[in-house]
Amino acid sequence: MPYLEMKGISKLYPNDLLANDAIDFSVEKNEIHAIVGENGAGKTTLMKILYGLEQPDAGSILLGGNPVTIRSPLDARRLGIGMVHQHFKLIPEFSVAENVVLGIEPRKNLLFVDRNAAAERISEVITSHGFSIDPRARVLNLTVGQMQQVEIVKMLYRKADLLILDEPTSVLTEQEIRKLFETLRSLQKNGKTCIIITHKLQEVMEISDRVTVMRKGKVVAVRQTAEVDKAELSRLMVGKSVLFQFERAKKACGDPVLELVDVSLKQRGRDRALLDGINLTVRSCEIVGVAGVSGNGLGELEDVVAGLRRITGGRILHNGEDIAGLSPATLRERGFAYVPADRLRRGSSLQSTVTENMIVTSHHRFLRAGFLKGGKIQQFAERLTKSFSIDGGPRAPVGTLSGGNIQKVILARELASASNLVIVSEPTWGLDVASSQFVYEKILEMRKAGAGILFISSNLDEILGIADTIAVMYRGRVVAFLPNVPDLSKERIGEYMLGLRDDFAPEGPQRKGPQP
Amino acid sequence: MTGNSPFSIPLIHNAVDIMTPFLLAGIGGLFTELAGMLNIALEGLILTGAFFSIVFAAATGNLLLGILLGILCAMALAWMFGAVTLYMRANVFITGLATNLFASGFTIVLAFQLFKTKGVIQFPGIPKLPALVVPPFLQRIPVVGDVLFGHNVIVYVTWAIVLLSALVIYRTPFGLRLRGTGLKAETIVSLGLNPRRYQMAGILISGLTCGLAGAMLTIELAAFVPEISSGRGWIALVAIYLGNKTPWGIFIASFVFGMAESFSNYAQGAIKVPVDFILALPYVITVVAMILYSIFRHFRARG
Amino acid sequence: MREKRNLGELFAGFTGLAFTLLLSFGLVIGLIFILSRAPGRTIYYFFVGAFTNKYYLGNMLNVAVPLIFTGLGISVAFKSSVFNLGGEGQIYAGGLAATAVCLALPAANGFLGGLTALAGAVVLSGGIAGLSGFFRMKWNTDEMISSFLLSSAVVLVVNYFITGPLDDPKNNLLATLAIGPQYGLMRIFPPSKLNVSAFFALAAALLVFLFMYRSHAGYEMRMCGLNREFSRYGGINVSKYLVLPMIMSGALHGLGGGLMVLGTYGATIEGYSFGMGWNGIAVALIAKNNPLGVIPAAFLFAYLDAGAKAAMLNSDVTFEIAAIAQSFIFYFVTAQALYGLARKRRRA
Repeated sequence: MPYLEMKGISKLYPNDLLANDAIDFSVEKNEIHAIVGENGAGKTTLMKILYGLEQPDAGSILLGGNPVTIRSPLDARRLGIGMVHQHFKLIPEFSVAENVVLGIEPRKNLLFVDRNAAAERISEVITSHGFSIDPRARVLNLTVGQMQQVEIVKMLYRKADLLILDEPTSVLTEQEIRKLFETLRSLQKNGKTCIIITHKLQEVMEISDRVTVMRKGKVVAVRQTAEVDKAELSRLMVGKSVLFQFERAKKACGDPVLELVDVSLKQRGRDRALLDGINLTVRSCEIVGVAGVSGNGLGELEDVVAGLRRITGGRILHNGEDIAGLSPATLRERGFAYVPADRLRRGSSLQSTVTENMIVTSHHRFLRAGFLKGGKIQQFAERLTKSFSIDGGPRAPVGTLSGGNIQKVILARELASASNLVIVSEPTWGLDVASSQFVYEKILEMRKAGAGILFISSNLDEILGIADTIAVMYRGRVVAFLPNVPDLSKERIGEYMLGLRDDFAPEGPQRKGPQP
Repeated sequence: MTGNSPFSIPLIHNAVDIMTPFLLAGIGGLFTELAGMLNIALEGLILTGAFFSIVFAAATGNLLLGILLGILCAMALAWMFGAVTLYMRANVFITGLATNLFASGFTIVLAFQLFKTKGVIQFPGIPKLPALVVPPFLQRIPVVGDVLFGHNVIVYVTWAIVLLSALVIYRTPFGLRLRGTGLKAETIVSLGLNPRRYQMAGILISGLTCGLAGAMLTIELAAFVPEISSGRGWIALVAIYLGNKTPWGIFIASFVFGMAESFSNYAQGAIKVPVDFILALPYVITVVAMILYSIFRHFRARG
Repeated sequence: MREKRNLGELFAGFTGLAFTLLLSFGLVIGLIFILSRAPGRTIYYFFVGAFTNKYYLGNMLNVAVPLIFTGLGISVAFKSSVFNLGGEGQIYAGGLAATAVCLALPAANGFLGGLTALAGAVVLSGGIAGLSGFFRMKWNTDEMISSFLLSSAVVLVVNYFITGPLDDPKNNLLATLAIGPQYGLMRIFPPSKLNVSAFFALAAALLVFLFMYRSHAGYEMRMCGLNREFSRYGGINVSKYLVLPMIMSGALHGLGGGLMVLGTYGATIEGYSFGMGWNGIAVALIAKNNPLGVIPAAFLFAYLDAGAKAAMLNSDVTFEIAAIAQSFIFYFVTAQALYGLARKRRRA
């Protein structure tokens, strides 16, 4: 008899999205079970229902053969179910101990928090699972991997037997992922059952015992992990195999459009510079991919090149002229286009219409005596909406569009005027296959038109597929700057990304063995 | 009483009295702030406490009972403020304004109904607030003695409240959850706790302390003056921000305001500056302090 | 680029507003029954009294005029996500500035003199509010608190001028010398005090609307109000739009005060504009920060004000009942729960 059974679970969201469609899902005791599917497949919704954050419209849940009702996280936890969310629910200003005991604080004299008892009990949990966190440390001082450990400790402290982890590796470094897998195996040995939600097939193969594949709100397959391979999983997930292969230009066609010369970005209070002597060149007709694990300077690179953050050292040249310190408006006049990683806050005004979003960079063109020419603007927006196939039309508030359409609005705006330098950052994050294809096509069009493109992404597959030259960042420095040739392997780039290889180290090119 | 020793400093002694309503309102407001809610209703809560304390004190003939009932009324108004904001999901800023407006209108309407006047209402029968009795030698300690002793009971109760508040905020589960609500409410929700409970608690506490603050104003005067709160609630709010949302910071900020007002009282007699300018001084000092503080913070962040 | 909402949302908005008003008025009626010994009479005068004669009616419309200006001022600020809490001081000072200019001018052309006086009001009040905006831009000083504090100080300083240098020694009023009659605005509905400033108010609402929704600067201001990071990314000068909305907000308040002096009072009387600033906030909120919506919203508050006055003069309640009625409206006007009720019912 399965340990956990979810039968016929359905969930319809108010915007008519059928997130779960009569789902049957079961987990055996003591196994590590992976749920895979693309973004929007319904995996997170299903687990939210299990954890009591959402209520199903239909269906039942059985734990150990007994039907249970889970109306809130409190119910879930009473049943021994714990969840580690993709976006941590920790309070950064509180200590580890305070975060762990919040809600079930041990009492001293009935009225006060017994800090010592809390620290003791937490230390027990920490050491018995091989973590190394100081209970008194403040969460905001921890690494992302450690924060995740705190979330796990939170659940173990509350005696959880069934642990749900939602996209646990999306924010971890390779090393931290190793540590997480060790932890999961140790938990398994201690009798716990784990469910992992992920879309990373490599990890599914490594760590899980069984895997359930979901697509568009339905369960499409359940397999023993030992009996499948990545290709088959991928096929089940998407319905067809996906490969990114693009025409690569043989040679960059021109002069450097963008040059970073010894660029540094220091922040007060931080010992390590955020950007440390970056040297990088983008030529016209060239796509330079910048790879790295998030947290190593990719975001900062994006900010300084786009003019949103001031560098503290070095020079940034555009067509040979120094542009450091120029405003975003001036940069746009010089021909910059910029598709930011933060689509929702930086790239869009969610409450405004598609039209208003589209003209934010170009509204100067539609003026007559200080007033906006409504007719011309409408024509402009309609033209773009059509050519980019944006669902919803020019008057729709951008916040009501899907992720893919929002990205289209941004692309339409940025690519509407001719640019000589295009900065894109994480352009396909969260997008489905069709939308991603669209993005790649547009970028290749820009390259054909002669633009130089800085393509920042933590998705190694797409960089290897599309870039002409690849730069790798580690801890704020460029540690590799290589032409993208067929024998450049993912493993080799991975070594650069983890700091195991460094072509530009002051002491000369290095290669280190595996780090502890 | 001040001036009992050759080393008394009336300026500081009076500042301690003057700062008490700011401190009370500020500490109460701190609880709401920590829970993540902007509380601009302090003004109206003080006014409510002021009115009802003295009215009930006169009606029952019992000072303590009057003050307690006054506090209860302020808490009732606070409850209304909290209920509409939290459970009807209204804009907290507007409901705060509504609360002030309501208190302002209601006290005058009621005063008119009961006492047939919209002006100052004297309550000659009200006794003075008892002062803390201490051995005279303590009061004669140079400087410190005059500053610390010889104040009315409410001043000392306030200090006790401040200490108690610090304990509650930093050492109890309630305080932890309250702060958690303000820092990241979604975490509180994910733990199965209800953030609105803690926000409501914060509001009620502010009703309590503001009610006491108001009581001190009217009882000391033995009269009710319309709009007697005259901006103290707003100053308390500023004290919370300047005090960096900590009890100790609020204490210091309140003291600074107390000193400013004490000085302006003193200067009114002594210096030939128009009254209005002196009354405006606390506001001007605060703005200047705010600006200097932001300049300081701005350059410190830049490095 | 009008912000079109679908009809359904508009309906829900109106229904919610209707609920708010019904609830508030219901509570006021209840209060009247408790407080008044002649509740029927009081209710009649409160709700209908303003329309019973020209004097009441005209004065009610006249009270709406400054409310339109303060409401516009606040809506401009709110739309740009800056918070002007100094309205009380700004409108009060505007009136004083207009008075001072009129008193300083030699007996000149009434029209030009009046215009100069209003210009003075706009400059002074715009400058006061602009100061808070400047500090916000430069050093990120909270403009909500700084504008409130400055305004509180300004009120006291204006009082000083009223009772000091500009005081009229001939009467016992706390008021300045009267301005010359040539600067006064023409009355249009005697015997009430309604004057041509009413047309200025309507024109102002239209102009602000055109500015916010049709002009280049208005577009940029609104974008900054909705998402500053996005606006900066898109090349808009975000710093400018921390200061400009404050200046405009203060200017509108000052204009309202100046027109009150020129049109109604003829001098700066102590406390003549008190409450207009706070009510401006409520007006803007009821109007959902839409400049054209400010007009009916201002009428609503003027109506309450007039009703309270009529009830006070003809029955046995005090004028402050208006404040209580207003507070009820404030309480409920933003209660989402009321709007949600309307929406839920439609769905079912």
